[in-house]
Amino acid sequence: MGRYLKLYLWFWTQRLKVLLEYPASTLVGVAAQVLSPAMGVLTIWVVVRQVPDLRGWSYDEVLLIYGLLTFSLGLSFIFGQNIWFLGQNYIRTGGLDHLLVRPINPLFQLVVEYYGYGGMDAALVGAVVTVKAILALGILWSPLKVLALLLSILSGSAIFMAFFLIPSVSGFWIMDSAISVTSVFYLTHQFAKYPLNIYPRAVLMMLTWLLPYAFASYYPASYLLGKEAGGLVWAGPFVAAALLFLGYRFWLFGLRHYTSTGS
Amino acid sequence: MNEVIARPRTEVSFSRSLRRNVSAYSAIASISLKEAFAYTSRVWVPFVIQFISIVVFIYFWRAVYASSGSTLGGLSLRQTLNYVILAQILVQLWEAGYIGLFGYLLRQGQMGLELVRPIDFQFQFYTRQLALLLYFILQRALLIPVLWLFFGLQLPSNPWVWVAFGISVLLGHAVVFFFEWCIACLAFYTTEVGGLYQTRTAVARFLSGSLVPLALMPTWLQAVTGVFPFAQAVSVPISLLIGITPLTEAPRVWLIQLLWVVGLGVLSRLIFRVAIRKVTVQGG
Repeated sequence: MGRYLKLYLWFWTQRLKVLLEYPASTLVGVAAQVLSPAMGVLTIWVVVRQVPDLRGWSYDEVLLIYGLLTFSLGLSFIFGQNIWFLGQNYIRTGGLDHLLVRPINPLFQLVVEYYGYGGMDAALVGAVVTVKAILALGILWSPLKVLALLLSILSGSAIFMAFFLIPSVSGFWIMDSAISVTSVFYLTHQFAKYPLNIYPRAVLMMLTWLLPYAFASYYPASYLLGKEAGGLVWAGPFVAAALLFLGYRFWLFGLRHYTSTGS
Repeated sequence: MNEVIARPRTEVSFSRSLRRNVSAYSAIASISLKEAFAYTSRVWVPFVIQFISIVVFIYFWRAVYASSGSTLGGLSLRQTLNYVILAQILVQLWEAGYIGLFGYLLRQGQMGLELVRPIDFQFQFYTRQLALLLYFILQRALLIPVLWLFFGLQLPSNPWVWVAFGISVLLGHAVVFFFEWCIACLAFYTTEVGGLYQTRTAVARFLSGSLVPLALMPTWLQAVTGVFPFAQAVSVPISLLIGITPLTEAPRVWLIQLLWVVGLGVLSRLIFRVAIRKVTVQGG
């Protein structure tokens, strides 16, 4: 465990060196990407402020949901973006061989080989929006609420990463096309950008039990605001752990079917 | 580049050169179309993704109207839903850009090869983008009946409205093309185009009116959208189709779009002529 932590830091430093080699390009990249999640905030700002509430959620409460989700999403990209490219850059090209011959867990290597600095934009926008909403809402804090907030951010990004991994493993069979499957799994998160009670109940069910992105936004926000659905917030870490376990088993299964390239 | 085109004209008769040009450009168009359809996952995945975002938007707007009363910014819920559904589809005109391809050609050193071909470089790209527009229409056409069935999307029955809309989309497509060209020329100076592309896409998504109908924006923001060309390809044609802009206004709308096309068209040729001097063919 300690060895992996040390390795993680080492990989991180190397990646940082790569990024700082072209500081201007990196900065422009980050700055440009901030715009994309910011447009979502702008939409809420323009529309939701014009109406009293969104099915019982005020402007700042909607922002809290959006902010929490965007922050988790940003973290998952910073730490797990490379998983997306398993099929395209590792399996199809046979690059996975490199990871398999080294005496380190190959999944760990896949994750650390690239840090998606592009995720910083979403993390930044998410953090700013969340803090703004929390300040405006005057939430009464308790140790339990702080714990719930931290756990939901951790489990939220873990859930995102599990859904980077599970569809990406399909790349062992379908190569490049895995990225399309991943993007469908990933983009379903869009439902969770807004309070889930605006959709039919089936969507709430889907985002709780099938693709549980609700644990990254709707449930923690409900808990922090003392709303009815709040109790489920404590299930988040268990859901995340179960998904990561499932993802890892699936990865091992996929790995057994890896046939490399060439003759 | 112009010299290359001019040379063979002295020997080849006009009709033959015309025939050669038509066959060259239609070959480009058909190759682009085949390329787009080559990967099945690239055909169905955008379809699914698009459907998800549209459903999210539909429920978002229903919730907004549930607490606002019958109209918002002069639009009824039905009008806003029709608008937002179509805007989500049409905004793809902005997303399927070629800035990335420009950057790729430069980095790979292929730009030199493209420039010596005996056809107009810009028109070659335009043909390609037109083919992609056709691909895009074929691919998204299936969304329309699905959305009509499940979410009551309403479309006009008057054929003249469709004609007006079609002309407006073609003009809007040309606006996008020439604007994109101006931005893409910056690649000659920066080589790296990822940041440019993302900035353009994010700004276009909002200022084109694809997320929020322009009528619902504060007046200062509406003024900002008027300064940029983005709305010409999304908000403007859709407003014609769903009746926010009456059919009698169509000629005025086309004229404004045409002015954008001509203005940006001239600008794009000028920028290209200056920027081309910067071209350094890598690896050559």
